[in-house]
Amino acid sequence: MPEALSDFWYALSPTAQDALLFALLLAPAILLGLVVVAGYRPFALVRAMLWRFRWTSLLFILLIAVSVGIGVGLIAQERGLRQGTARAADKFDLIVTAPGSEVTMMLAAVYLQPSDVPLLSGRVFNDIAGSENVSLAAPIAFGDSFEGAPVIGTTAGFVTHLSSGALAEGRMFAEHEEAVAGARVPLAIGETFTPAHGVGPSAEEDGHQGHVYRIVGRMPASGTPWDRAILVPVESVWEVHGLASGHAPGSEARLGPPFDADYFPGTPAILVHADQLWANYALRSQFTTAETMAFFPGAVLASLHALLGDVRQVMSVMAVVTQVLVTAGVLTGLIILMRLFARRLALLRALGAPRRFVFAVVWSYAAFLIGAGALLGIAVGFAASAIISRIVTARTDILIRASLSWPEFQLVAGFVSLTVLLALVPAFLTLARPVVKDLRG
Amino acid sequence: MDLALAVSGLSVRGDDGRAILTVESLKVAPGTAVAIRGPSGAGKSTLLFALAGLVPVAAGSIRWGGHEISAMSEDGRAAFRRRFVGMVFQDFLLFEELSALANASLAGAYSGARRGSIREGAAAMLQRLGLPSDDGRTVATFSGGERQRVAVARALAADPAIILADEPTASLDRAAADALIDDLVRLARESGKTLLIASHDLAVHARMDRLVEVIDGRFCGDVAQHA
Repeated sequence: MPEALSDFWYALSPTAQDALLFALLLAPAILLGLVVVAGYRPFALVRAMLWRFRWTSLLFILLIAVSVGIGVGLIAQERGLRQGTARAADKFDLIVTAPGSEVTMMLAAVYLQPSDVPLLSGRVFNDIAGSENVSLAAPIAFGDSFEGAPVIGTTAGFVTHLSSGALAEGRMFAEHEEAVAGARVPLAIGETFTPAHGVGPSAEEDGHQGHVYRIVGRMPASGTPWDRAILVPVESVWEVHGLASGHAPGSEARLGPPFDADYFPGTPAILVHADQLWANYALRSQFTTAETMAFFPGAVLASLHALLGDVRQVMSVMAVVTQVLVTAGVLTGLIILMRLFARRLALLRALGAPRRFVFAVVWSYAAFLIGAGALLGIAVGFAASAIISRIVTARTDILIRASLSWPEFQLVAGFVSLTVLLALVPAFLTLARPVVKDLRG
Repeated sequence: MDLALAVSGLSVRGDDGRAILTVESLKVAPGTAVAIRGPSGAGKSTLLFALAGLVPVAAGSIRWGGHEISAMSEDGRAAFRRRFVGMVFQDFLLFEELSALANASLAGAYSGARRGSIREGAAAMLQRLGLPSDDGRTVATFSGGERQRVAVARALAADPAIILADEPTASLDRAAADALIDDLVRLARESGKTLLIASHDLAVHARMDRLVEVIDGRFCGDVAQHA
């Protein structure tokens, strides 16, 4: 790119760049349309053709719409997933677990996907909690549930961190038998429950008989799996399992850190939060040891997103190929359809219509099918993305929002320009038809 | 404008290279009404299409006044038709989804600056032929006679000097055919147009100035009226 052009490009805002790219991609279609119909008024005849072959035209439009919709939906969905998963990991700066798969640990600790993972000792926890620059170190103990909602043992500090400082309703747990519910947990403040041991279909409903929690507060909605979680004091989770409370005898009633390493039964994960960004990097290095693994969920997600992006690119290419193939099929169908309309096109030429006018009629008809199909395709893609987003949100509790953005419009603009160019082919072929033979039908 | 027709040594060949029409000589003075008769498949329509410049000429020449259309390019012949020729066909060939006015002013869609005058001409012609100029109905709702009158209005809307009609009454009942041919001949004569009609219809022959004959692809010249 010449330097002046490059300077101009980078001086533009991202929105202006996107808008300009969209305009550049659509420009060939608009210019072609202006050139083809210049001086003529083919639209009444195009309308007549559309009406005469209304069902076939509608079928062609739907075919194009579905193929465009696949491409649009794919891009919108991938972006929605990326944004939704990133938002869900927002509060999790640094996670420390036992060495293993970062992805598995992240899925378990951030997205609350059940997994059997090794535990970290109280000594490790205290080392982390006592480190310089650590403003919050919280155990995240998972493994129990209530009617499908994960019951997580942690500290009041973590609940406050997750709630951005303020609960939506009620108060923080202050006793071992108290709990704070996520925004979408179907338990009201004051209601009680007994957790099941384990999660999912294999959970033992009566595994913790006799242990009853009471809901005392509710966190604000976050659009993350934590909206369906019930947070309880980590001490009570250990006690429910017949383990020590994390505190020395005589201090069992205490809640939250510091914990006594000798009476700390273990935690699968520890959330670490530092006030300074740089400190997170130092802490990651510090706790990447033989017995601990420290990772940024954001970095793990970025790797997953990169992979997702590669998959999206492959699928986008496939979607574009599908779109072009469908359009080529439609244009082939159009050539066949033009045979049905050949008599009237021959009439136009017999009456003295310039060949370019007949060309404009056929091209405009094809361009209308493509344009209408592309517009409908945007709606189809958005609708598909909205439906899929709702399903994914319902299944993962990660809020996925369907939205349309510039890449989808740019894809459609490129598609329209390419295919209206292809539409020149049936228009040219129509001109090669014998006028008198067609006139005689 | 003097657009006398002069055809000489004309030969038109089919796709297989066989001669399908030969015309040694045919002259028609401007403003003359000529009927072309002959058995089915004899070459009447081919002669009309050749005179309109719609079929390639293997040999000979077709000259309308100073315009030798047999020597013109396809685009040149189309421009000639656009300017000087109105055509009427046996089965109307209308756009059924459009109104009478939209059909009659079809040429306006591709005639640029003449668009306005063509539309006015079409509206006036429809009125003279007793049809509503634009009542919103599509021609699909019209009777056969009405449709053919729309086709006549279309042929005359741009005020061409030459009208070529291929079996215009063949799809009509007797009364509608008589009314149509009366209108067509009257309108042509009023404005001094040259009218050539290929037709089996004796009633058409009777209203023409001249009657010529085509048999087995050979133009045979004039025949006596009422023969």
